[in-house]
Amino acid sequence: MTAGLTAGLMSIDLMTTGLSTSGLLTNRYWFKVLFEYCADPDSLSSLSWLSCYLTTVKHQSLYWSILTVLILLAVTAPMAVGLGLAGALARRSPFGAVRGLGWGYTSMVRGIPDLIFFLFVPLAIDQMLEYIRHRVLCPQETGPVWVGHDFVVCDAAKLPLGPSPEWVHDIYGFMLAVLAFSIVFGAFCANVIHGAMNAVPRAQLETARAYGLSPRQVMFRIHLPQTWIYALPGLSNVWMILIKATPLLFLMGVEDIVYWAKELGGSKSARFSDFPHGDWRIYYFSGLLVFYLLFTWFSQIGLKRLTDRVSRGQATLAGGKGGLGR
Amino acid sequence: MADTGAGQQAGNTQAGNTNGAKQSAAVAKNGAAVLELRDIHKYFGDLEVLKGVSVAARAGEVIALIGSSGSGKSTLLRCANLLEIPQQGDVIFQGKAIEWRAKGAGRQPASEVQVRGVRTHLSMVFQQFNLWAHLSVLQNVTEAPITVLGQDRSEAEEKGRALLAKVGIGDKCDAYPAQLSGGQQQRAAIARALAMEPAAMLFDEPTSALDPELEQEVIKVIKDLAAEGRTMIIVTHDMSLARDVADQVIFLHQGVIEEQGAPAEVFGNPKSDRLRQFLLSTSVAA
Repeated sequence: MTAGLTAGLMSIDLMTTGLSTSGLLTNRYWFKVLFEYCADPDSLSSLSWLSCYLTTVKHQSLYWSILTVLILLAVTAPMAVGLGLAGALARRSPFGAVRGLGWGYTSMVRGIPDLIFFLFVPLAIDQMLEYIRHRVLCPQETGPVWVGHDFVVCDAAKLPLGPSPEWVHDIYGFMLAVLAFSIVFGAFCANVIHGAMNAVPRAQLETARAYGLSPRQVMFRIHLPQTWIYALPGLSNVWMILIKATPLLFLMGVEDIVYWAKELGGSKSARFSDFPHGDWRIYYFSGLLVFYLLFTWFSQIGLKRLTDRVSRGQATLAGGKGGLGR
Repeated sequence: MADTGAGQQAGNTQAGNTNGAKQSAAVAKNGAAVLELRDIHKYFGDLEVLKGVSVAARAGEVIALIGSSGSGKSTLLRCANLLEIPQQGDVIFQGKAIEWRAKGAGRQPASEVQVRGVRTHLSMVFQQFNLWAHLSVLQNVTEAPITVLGQDRSEAEEKGRALLAKVGIGDKCDAYPAQLSGGQQQRAAIARALAMEPAAMLFDEPTSALDPELEQEVIKVIKDLAAEGRTMIIVTHDMSLARDVADQVIFLHQGVIEEQGAPAEVFGNPKSDRLRQFLLSTSVAA
């Protein structure tokens, strides 16, 4: 997989030169030609031409990449909140070492530019896994894994294995991307949750202790449920930033919607395409703008509902909107 | 041990009948001490807040702790359920002394389990009510019985409703604390305390955060509890409450017990100048 990642990294250069690596996802389409009449594009009127144009194999890759982004968000969000919760809990652990770990995680990730992290984490995890597999699966090879500038492991240690089908490589790369996103956004979540935990009035927890609740029960029955009231606005913010960061997927070799918009929008001559057209990037990027705007807008509505729900009956400004009647 | 079936007597107790309160309490209070604090010393940094205070509450006895702000009365109460750890002195609950490890500033209870056991049987009512904000009033009442005592949810809810009816807010079960008035919140907090079926109850200035009108709702409930013969230690600024419900009044001044005795004695015939001055300043002087 290291090779695939390197290709992903190289694509930063390619981005500037307007070229691109061959798509990992190009093979994935539902049907080669959707409509019978698309076989001969030159004979078509404008509307049916468009219907054929928008269902080409490459466009199907664009639609697939939208799904990729949505899946990434759906998997990353809970993982980031989970990591954030773990980080925040670690920072108030009674054990110094665990506290240090939590503190180190949040401050390190927050202090390093996301971009560097997105490039570093998948590569580091990939090489770490391959190195471990190399040492375990190929004990006969005792030489160094670094040969000159190349990271070389035995064939059995490769991830995924060399002869694996294309989709296994795709999934593996996607999982590394999810991991990188989760680690980075988990750190942001950890900070939000840590702050929210500190915002819970001390008297609430003291009262729980006074009624004989164990430290664990105080944490899970009283402290954490009240934490969400204070954490939700911050977490909503992180979610918005996460949505807007998805184009960075491109850096990890996962071809996302921005990549495909740029690829498909560029002018095509009749020599290379059955559907020649001029520079249409403006339309594609406009479509992206609308997509992201709508997505964040609907998110905002959903998050507002969630906030209203957890703030119900609370003596906060948000809780008061439902009418704090006597 | 206090009457555990109290929840079923909703509304039957004599409202504000202080004579009744005195009599039943007098009948019940002939036992060994339920809770005893012996020679308690408490420091906050270099400041010695309690300088060797001893208090014992027998079963059915109501003790009122009075004194000006900063006299250490709330701190003493908080030492009873170990929300504050005294650097010296013993806390003895139902005949068993809390065991300690380390000495001086680093002193801690040796057993977290023992501390939780004591707290389970000593319900506290706070000045600021401290109802759990994310739970409904009924959930506030059932939370500790379910998680700490392991009561069945439906059983706990049934008892909780009865207790809320008893303190006069049976119609507020599903409201959130922030939606109640101060007096209602404090009555809910008392219902929460009763739900634990405590051996003794601790009140930390239960009426200080309320205006006079709401204060009376809460005072009525406290008087009813005294009439049931419950063991209570009440820290209060309300001298008429102390006079009406207490069997014993303890006047704390600068971390020591300046004077103590039956309310008639303490309020009717104060011996020390400090107590006399204090009673004058509270305007309910005898």
